[in-house]
Amino acid sequence: MPATLFQKVWDRHVLSVTNEATLLYIDRHLVHEVTSPQAFDGLRLAGRKVRRPDLTFATIDHNVPTEDQLNIRDPLSKRQVETLRANCAEFGLNFYDIKSGRQGIVHVIGPEMGITLPGTTIVCGDSHTSTHGAFGALAFGIGTSEVEHVMATQTLWQGKRPAALGVEVTGTLGPGLEPKDIILAVIRAIGTAGGTGTVIEYYGPAIRALSMEGRLTICNMSIEGGARAGLIAPDDVTFEYFTKVDRPYAPKGRDLEAAIADWRTLKTDDGAKFDQHITIDASKLVPQVTWGTNPAMTIDADGHIPTLDELPSSLRAEADRAFQYMGLTPGTPLDQIPVDVVFIGSCTNGRIEDLRAAAQVMKGRKVAEGVRALVVPGSEQVRSQAHAEGLDRVFEEAGAEWREAGCSMCLAMNPDKLQPGQRAASTSNRNFEGRQGPGGRTHLVSPSMAAAAAVTGRFTDVRRLLEV
Amino acid sequence: MKPFIVHRGKVAVLDWTDVNTDLIIPARYLKRIERVGYGPLLFADKRYIAGGAPPIDEPEKHGPLDPAFPLNRPENQGASVLVVGKNFGCGSSREHAVWAVAQGGYSVVIAPGKDEGFADIFEGNALNNGLLAVEVPQADWDRIAEIAGPGGAEAVIDLVKQVITVQNGPATVEVPFQIPDTRRERLLKGLDAISETLLLESDIDRYEQAAPAWIKPASA
Ligand code: SF4
Repeated sequence: MPATLFQKVWDRHVLSVTNEATLLYIDRHLVHEVTSPQAFDGLRLAGRKVRRPDLTFATIDHNVPTEDQLNIRDPLSKRQVETLRANCAEFGLNFYDIKSGRQGIVHVIGPEMGITLPGTTIVCGDSHTSTHGAFGALAFGIGTSEVEHVMATQTLWQGKRPAALGVEVTGTLGPGLEPKDIILAVIRAIGTAGGTGTVIEYYGPAIRALSMEGRLTICNMSIEGGARAGLIAPDDVTFEYFTKVDRPYAPKGRDLEAAIADWRTLKTDDGAKFDQHITIDASKLVPQVTWGTNPAMTIDADGHIPTLDELPSSLRAEADRAFQYMGLTPGTPLDQIPVDVVFIGSCTNGRIEDLRAAAQVMKGRKVAEGVRALVVPGSEQVRSQAHAEGLDRVFEEAGAEWREAGCSMCLAMNPDKLQPGQRAASTSNRNFEGRQGPGGRTHLVSPSMAAAAAVTGRFTDVRRLLEV
Repeated sequence: MKPFIVHRGKVAVLDWTDVNTDLIIPARYLKRIERVGYGPLLFADKRYIAGGAPPIDEPEKHGPLDPAFPLNRPENQGASVLVVGKNFGCGSSREHAVWAVAQGGYSVVIAPGKDEGFADIFEGNALNNGLLAVEVPQADWDRIAEIAGPGGAEAVIDLVKQVITVQNGPATVEVPFQIPDTRRERLLKGLDAISETLLLESDIDRYEQAAPAWIKPASA
């Protein structure tokens, strides 16, 4: 029987099946400080251990102050960080502390350290675990009770196998466009609940043409389309990620050869059927910008804030509340809307290629008067790579703040926050009310679009700055 | 976990779609390391008059309720059955959202549309906390919302028979629902998933022994 990539990875991990539930083996468990304390407490209460500390990897990301990582002033953040530190010591887990050289956003360090491998199952108490699907891993977010369950058993109960949603991306991305524009366009097409109950597989020439980093950006936002996970079949680009750079936890030598031979079989067979399917033509895309308070409320960068009639019916009910919260008048051309803050970073767009794309736009330009621009590497390793390439100087010369690694302004849990009413161009993944700070207004964009907003002080189609 | 068999309680309707986890409990409260105290944090940025949301470490210290928020209406006080719009609990995986709903006094949440009512992770988290998340067909949901909307309705949710009965004065609606057997079983017995899984420990051992060598992390 021809099978989809998702079926293959799922089937490999099935331990036990009852009528509606399936017990899956979990190959990698990533842990951060926010969703784990109550799980460790549960283990302690029941006198349980972590079954496979060698498959469990922890770091600190959400609470880290990116101006000076070591100076956690908020006592509650500090308590949460110290709790993880103590728990990792007590249970004997791999732990990447601040200034270890390997700390970073959990979804950035997983791939770069070779923890993330094709064909594996990966979970984390964090919905953006879908990121790791870029390698052809089945990776998804879980709740705290499940974190405890995985720690105790290295397995996870799932309902019936989710449906497979095929998202085919044809054509070629034009100049000034980025993987972020593809995924924003996908969510715009399917809606925030379009993927509920499914796992997405992204495929087609425009996906094949992407680097691993671009693929990570795409899979990262699968959850914003409601999907459980997103997957991309591994190929030579994936294998080179392991053969060209030494990744500490990845297989080496003969093990790596055996692994690659196996990974080559991880693709959707000819004749296998997706339960649902959509096609997007990358050649027709223009840069995308969200205007509202959910990630499907998206427009083209050369467009205007939609009027009620222009909206798809699924968005109309929420539109008035969104216009009001965002302080926007329908019909306003996007390029007349000024921004207060620009945030470049997060597990969506905090990797080296994202910083390069932003730097390319900022180079030789200045951040506009009155705009605050933050550039936050996704990990300590991304930060050192950016230093090696001189990107930090580009940002600083332009007048942007160059920060240390962490989640930063992606969510309002550390000192990097929007003030009420402030408008941000942000490369993160969520534009919900209050996500970046109570009353803050978030517009999701690609790194180069964010950089364009920083240097012009308003939303600007980056293709104009790149003279394309 | 307490077994869930039959629940009887007052119904409140929050007729909003796509209610995300940031709305259910704003991210700043995720700084808590406790498992309790989440009740007053439910809808913290909507429920209190501006500036009245409780401090992170003192959930009980909140400002006055905002009368404009639907769940604050007098007829909704003391409700334990929450009727919500499509795609409830979308967004993050934070289980805090379920803790807030459950500790906020709700035992049952009812949403419209099969596989569309709740975000996947929220539904899983609800199960693990004994919160019954029920999806009913849109037409049935409309009937429930119609009689419960004005407030004052009472509901009986029978997990054995899988029937919801909502009554408001002379009006009554009866709606069947379905929860997959294994989930239902766990809720009915109030079982802890970990001890159940550990019965399969020898299968887990066998799986690990059969795994290919490359899958084990190289020593870093
Ligand atoms: S960067 Fe944002 S989305 Fe990613 S893990 Fe951190 S808080 Fe979550």
